Amino acid sequence: MIQYVFLAFGITSMFFGALGVIRFEDVYTRLHASTKCDTGGAMAIIFALAIHVDASLLVRFKFLVLIFLISLITPMISHAIAKGAYRSGIEPVVGVDDYARDTL
Amino acid sequence: MVSPFGWVVLLLVFTSFLLVYRIVFGPTSADRIVALNTITTKVIIVIAILSVLLEKFALIDLAIVLLMINAVSSLVLAKHLHRG
Repeated sequence: MIQYVFLAFGITSMFFGALGVIRFEDVYTRLHASTKCDTGGAMAIIFALAIHVDASLLVRFKFLVLIFLISLITPMISHAIAKGAYRSGIEPVVGVDDYARDTL
Repeated sequence: MVSPFGWVVLLLVFTSFLLVYRIVFGPTSADRIVALNTITTKVIIVIAILSVLLEKFALIDLAIVLLMINAVSSLVLAKHLHRG
């Protein structure tokens, strides 16, 4: 029964992440919402699958490998996209641009 | 009776159709890359859930390979943004 708790957390995170990608006003805030749902929600849903599955131990270990790869790859991708978007000249809609102040 | 994982698959497909709006009308190309990256992660989760529901566990390897291809393609697109 504990797997449905993880499943509900994951699907709620995924839904509001997608809503944030549609509704936010800036590339960086959209990337913020997208990264939250991609990492936390995906890891929660696949951990729920690893608990729920009725198979051998090797299949559960494959799901754990998938969780490990998601937790490595997804923050790396979002960091690369944010850096590329900043270098290509997209201005963030904020009051104080701390990144520009730090890299002067 | 459908398992709760089946309803999660339907909800993930629905949110992917919501994200197509950002791909079509995104103001810059970085918005399109962000939305495409999110859709690919949702497809990976759908494949992992279907591998459990259909009891074909070889599909998990497909999900792992799709995750790695997503990493490489997104890094290439980010590098393309970096060059301007």
